[in-house]
Amino acid sequence: MSVARNLQAPDLQPIDVVVYAIPVFILLIVIEMIWAARRAPEKYEPRDMLTSLGLGLGSTIAGALVAGAIYAMMLWLYAHRVVSLPNVWWVWVLAFVLDDFNYYWFHRTAHRVRWFWAAHVNHHSSQHYNLSTALRQTWTGFFALSFAFHIWPALLGFHPAILLTVAGINLVYQFWIHTEAVQKMPRWFEAVMNTPAHHRVHHATNPRYLDRNYAGVFIVWDKLFGTFEPERDEEPPRYGIVRQLGSFNLLHAAFHEWTALLGDLLRAPWRHKLGYLVREPGWSHDGTREGSDAIRARWLERNPPA
Amino acid sequence: MTPTNLAALQTLFALPGAAVAVQAAVSLVLIIGLYYLARAMQLGGDVRIRDAAHARELADAAISGFAAQDIALDRARIGALLRDAGGRVLVVRRHGSHFVARVLPDHASVRLDRQFLTLAAGEPRFGAITLELGPEAQAWAASLRRLGERA
Repeated sequence: MSVARNLQAPDLQPIDVVVYAIPVFILLIVIEMIWAARRAPEKYEPRDMLTSLGLGLGSTIAGALVAGAIYAMMLWLYAHRVVSLPNVWWVWVLAFVLDDFNYYWFHRTAHRVRWFWAAHVNHHSSQHYNLSTALRQTWTGFFALSFAFHIWPALLGFHPAILLTVAGINLVYQFWIHTEAVQKMPRWFEAVMNTPAHHRVHHATNPRYLDRNYAGVFIVWDKLFGTFEPERDEEPPRYGIVRQLGSFNLLHAAFHEWTALLGDLLRAPWRHKLGYLVREPGWSHDGTREGSDAIRARWLERNPPA
Repeated sequence: MTPTNLAALQTLFALPGAAVAVQAAVSLVLIIGLYYLARAMQLGGDVRIRDAAHARELADAAISGFAAQDIALDRARIGALLRDAGGRVLVVRRHGSHFVARVLPDHASVRLDRQFLTLAAGEPRFGAITLELGPEAQAWAASLRRLGERA
């Protein structure tokens, strides 16, 4: 059976919501820059912003180059779907929630498996946390096979166009939470949704905050799977990565972890090579490095809970 | 726009990848515009290490648990040198409107020139930093001679 014949709604096309959102992104960045100029000029650094936006542009180009291949894979899965879900509102809602669930697990894996971390790290390598940081996206997500987390619902019967559209909406939602200009949202909102406060924790390198709050849109996933940490007023987040990048070079920001991973793979004894690919960032076969778990454990020894 | 120009534009956009290329070019212009706007607004500021306590905070932020015992601040407060009880030496330098730090692996790249101490952490991207430490420079240089020989 051909893919085209097996599509329930072959005329359904994905809506590239990110493209429509770009003018709003730019407007909000300018507004945040004005806020920073008046309140805290150090919140923005022109060279850091240039790197972040350059990574965003490169990610858009990389995404456009591979979009066809990903869509073709989704269509193939959809051709072998278990059930046929109709193009109705509740399917869109279901797809959005399922995609956000997938995003949580993709994101958690991206922080806990070095192969995926190598593609994701550039989103975290800025020491700033502003709206330009939101656009600091990967160039190598396709190479890392990150799309595997998002395409499988096509096999359940969700149309690929619906899946790609809700994934775009998810990405657009996550833009506004990359800011220090918003402190806390209303309690009910903070309880359910991912917010600037929750996501600041995610970008922080404070031992307490490391590897927490992986959510995309709904923070409930972190609460459900035990990775939630609230932002504390007495502990302001420090942003970046454990070993700060210390460079604004665009190519270095895009590829530094891949080159480090390659170096580790070449140097490691054969029986440990796989460990460098699948273990958490900071893992080493000789125990000479520290990952987030070890950093937090040592910090807890020095600062035992009251 | 003349019909000829319009037809030419339509032909251009019909080329594979043309829309992406145009979108990328427009985005690049906007990015450069934002960069110069940020510069014009003097964003980034001029951050300095306030005092020894601030340097200690920066060291702990760079390496969790780094408890500095000896601290030398650059005269312009754009960098610092810190040593913990275990003999690890951390060099802190300004990076944009933040600071970054690295543990010095050895003394190979330490250079003393009167009151100036030049240090590199063995990473091309991190680069070298010259700290003006005043009279302390000589004592620090002497103490760094055995760095990297302990292991």
